[in-house]
Amino acid sequence: MTDTTAADAKLIAPRRRRRSATAKPLPLIALSVGFVALWVIAAAFPFLWTAWGSFKVEADFFSRQNWMNAVTGVQTLRQTGEAFTMDGYEGAWIEQEFWRAVINTAIVTFFVTTISLTFGTLGGYALARSGFRYTFWILIMALIFRAMPHVTLVSGYLLPFFELGIWGYLPTTIIVLVAINQPFTLWMLHSFFLSIPKDLDESAMVDGCTRFQAFRLAVIPVMWPGVITTGLFSFLLAYNDFTVTSMLLTAENQTMVPKINSFLGSTQAEGKVMYAVAAVVSAIAPLFVLIMFFQRQIVSGLTAGAVKG
Amino acid sequence: MARLQLKNVNKRWGSYVAVKDFDLDIADQEFLVLLGPSGCGKSTTMRMIAGLEDVTSGEIVLGGRNVNNLEPKDRDISMVFQSYGLYPNLSVYENIRFPLRVRKVPKEQHHEMVMTAIRMVELEPFMDRRPADLSGGQRQRVALGRAIVRKPTVFLMDEPLSNLDAKLRVSTRAQIKNLQSKLKTTTVYVTHDQIEAMTLADRVVVMNKGEIQQVGTPTEIYDNPANTFVASFIGSPAMNLVEGRIEGGTFTGDGITVEGLKAPSGPVTLGFRAEDASIVPSGGQIAAPVYAVELLGEASMITWRLGEQLVSVKTAKDYRAETGQMVEASVPAAICHLFDAETGKALPR
Amino acid sequence: MPHRTFSLFILPSLLAMLLFVALPIGSVIYQSLFIEHEQIMVEVENCGPFGCTTERRVDAEAMAQLRAEEPAGRWNGLGTYFNAGHLAFERIGQIWDRTETWGQFLDQAMNLPFYKALGFTLAYTFIVTPFVIILGFCIALGVNALPNLAKGPVIFFSLLPMIVTPLIGSLVLFWMIDSRGIIGATLQTIFGDPTLSLKASPTLTWVTLFVYGVWHSAPFAFVVFYAGLQGVPKDTMESAMVDGASRREQVRFVVIPYLMPLVVFIALMQLMDNFRVFEPIVGFSAEANATSLSYLIYSDLRGQDTPLFASAAATSVLTTLGVIVLLTPVLIRTWRDFNRKA
Ligand SMILES: Nc1ncnc2c1ncn2[C@@H]1O[C@H](COP(=O)(O)OP(=O)(O)O)[C@@H](O)[C@H]1O
Ligand SMILES: [Mg+2]
Repeated sequence: MTDTTAADAKLIAPRRRRRSATAKPLPLIALSVGFVALWVIAAAFPFLWTAWGSFKVEADFFSRQNWMNAVTGVQTLRQTGEAFTMDGYEGAWIEQEFWRAVINTAIVTFFVTTISLTFGTLGGYALARSGFRYTFWILIMALIFRAMPHVTLVSGYLLPFFELGIWGYLPTTIIVLVAINQPFTLWMLHSFFLSIPKDLDESAMVDGCTRFQAFRLAVIPVMWPGVITTGLFSFLLAYNDFTVTSMLLTAENQTMVPKINSFLGSTQAEGKVMYAVAAVVSAIAPLFVLIMFFQRQIVSGLTAGAVKG
Repeated sequence: MARLQLKNVNKRWGSYVAVKDFDLDIADQEFLVLLGPSGCGKSTTMRMIAGLEDVTSGEIVLGGRNVNNLEPKDRDISMVFQSYGLYPNLSVYENIRFPLRVRKVPKEQHHEMVMTAIRMVELEPFMDRRPADLSGGQRQRVALGRAIVRKPTVFLMDEPLSNLDAKLRVSTRAQIKNLQSKLKTTTVYVTHDQIEAMTLADRVVVMNKGEIQQVGTPTEIYDNPANTFVASFIGSPAMNLVEGRIEGGTFTGDGITVEGLKAPSGPVTLGFRAEDASIVPSGGQIAAPVYAVELLGEASMITWRLGEQLVSVKTAKDYRAETGQMVEASVPAAICHLFDAETGKALPR
Repeated sequence: MPHRTFSLFILPSLLAMLLFVALPIGSVIYQSLFIEHEQIMVEVENCGPFGCTTERRVDAEAMAQLRAEEPAGRWNGLGTYFNAGHLAFERIGQIWDRTETWGQFLDQAMNLPFYKALGFTLAYTFIVTPFVIILGFCIALGVNALPNLAKGPVIFFSLLPMIVTPLIGSLVLFWMIDSRGIIGATLQTIFGDPTLSLKASPTLTWVTLFVYGVWHSAPFAFVVFYAGLQGVPKDTMESAMVDGASRREQVRFVVIPYLMPLVVFIALMQLMDNFRVFEPIVGFSAEANATSLSYLIYSDLRGQDTPLFASAAATSVLTTLGVIVLLTPVLIRTWRDFNRKA
């Protein structure tokens, strides 16, 4: 009996094949696939187009005659002798010293991420484990701080920072970004630590640890998924910031985003808009890689807040 | 090994009272079980003993020393948690060794102590596995092993069996009982399962809504429940409770009349156990149409509906009756318990 | 956790927030009550071959000294709040007297810089947010129906508009809608109007910014909804099927109610983020046709030779009030939930 069932199933299956209860009607599938395809094009095409165009000359990317020129690269071929050119990148990275901005961005993002996470794990852990009422108020306060437009905060810093003589330096910007990032980090890590059973650190304490030892020995080894996810968002905040970095940094300390913005003023006039295009593509590339490697964490991080309500 | 006293312990969160006037003296080597429905404050009591919660008022005295202000690590206790609290990044061996490491027990002694504990909980074949690669029962035993590896003065166990399936629960229960009788360590054990409480305990503390209802040996609690709450919580099925009145030594309720009771007249609650009463052909104290007949395997259970309450009696497994059929049961005065109708307290027999 | 341990753990984080978020709010309020010093003039005599002329000039030395003594400027009370650059009550009054209909009144009032920015900010916040939710929901439903193999790449590309820096994202689109860019040129061809430019008219600029906003934030709503869809209770879904619900009814009676809390979450996040809209205005160089509250502050601090601290501060305070009004329903709800639990 059992021997024949597999064979039977094979025989019977084709004849019995009918739409299962969960299969969707064809038009609905077509509609949803079409819709998603449209969205994917809308989401991805601008970046691919710009990345492609960054290897052309301005006359192609901003063609007066026909946008097809950007694909074929007529002018690029005429002006440089090749279908692709690195002129934009050379101009941005070397002539306009974009590399400085890249280094500054690296410094800022590295420190903002590590400091944010250090402060945030300690605070988030305490908030998740303390049963007292004030934790609620701290979280609410953080929520209000999270909603503050950054530029209003910057308008509060500017004058005091001038007075104290700390305006324009990277460390000032780093600590400001850490602070602006704290509300979010606290919320994320707070809800992440809530998901770690408190039995874990409590057994460590009964086993003979102080609270801090329990944190170090029992909690830190299991907290990395949450920390990595939160870290990604801290990184993005620092990397993407324009408001703080454009107002608190001197021209030579500028990070990539404000640097690109300052290109616009100077280069557009000189017909060197391709420098800006190249710089923009240079700034997007690391994000592209980031999503490629951490897609799952980004998705789970975006949802973490929602699941907790 | 030590005596553990709780003196008038209270725990409040804001205006919510989780534990109220908890007074208990636990003897050295005793196996004490805290029993009560979920949410009644058992875990809270245990966590206060462990030092994981502060007491709002009162005193916890361990081995003659007030430990109210000691950190958990300084109380020399060990605890098994409901979800075990194993360190997922450490192997079974390292999990059990953890308390020795953080308590700075000399390194040379570790191996022997850990191996003794591992043998006691029968985990030798799984020593190098991570908790994630163990079954529920094995994880539970790792938690036990970690609790016994250093000889603490008190064991605390918070519903250690509740995450196991029914069969495993029975065998692990026996193992815990066996361990405790070998180690002779004072043990406080929390459960909401009255069978677990009855089988394990030297003494049972029945709690409800943060208050102690009764303290006594399992037999005492089963035979002489102090109030209707205990009566209805202990035993399976729980004690039958019928509301009614006593006039001149005769109890009358819906469908039930019991004579020869020694109690002053007035409203009371009458209680008796299903296994103490019996079905009779005629002349029984209960005479009413049957509400349900259930086959339990080793016995049958006949249920009547008397007023608002369901009342059950156990009888021979081959007894048969139809729903709605008139059946009588004998409930002699000798098996009856009487409780004050208002306070629910047991009246002297 | 005892208070002492708690405070040690939370201290760095709390200190950072108090120093660099709470204190600046205080600083902004303080600054908004002062105004830049008046120029100190001196008469300078210039004697040349053709006699002497006297010239009035700013006394730079005296000004510097004054600034050093009172960096915030001189006391102005609430003056800055009421001036023409902000609430402009006087002007509003005049416009009220001058205009006949509501339409005219709003029209003229919206030309005042603060109200213009407020109008755009509110429009952006309340138009983009619902569209983000709807588009995100549709994408989530669509992606959920795809075969598993396709889901990964689709999610990957979907994340791009959100992850990429807002300023850079808007620049990318800005170049494409340029009349020489691919979208701008195509639109000109479609409408047969070689002068058509999305940058020229205020309405088109607003629409462009809204579209950008939806494009930028839809991935967020999509991801949240998509994760929510994975968690729709199978039992309820299956009992709805057994009960004979059509596909539409399943979505309506099972999926949407289940996702409702997520809608609230996304709406809250989006209201907060959209209210501070700023980078796209810079990226699209749209300041001539659309300014937001955040942009006003930025241009006060950045646009002039010397930053207009008082003006920026007053706008900041007003913006903060706006944030608080926006958050009030949330705070009230949280407060009620909290009290019910306690
Ligand atoms: N940190 C806390 N804050 C407020 N109430 C709590 C806290 N911990 C437990 N409680 C409440 O105290 C009561 C007793 O809880 P617990 O001791 O865990 O019950 P159980 O007997 O099931 O172990 C429950 O109603 C619970 O909701
Ligand atoms: Mg419990």
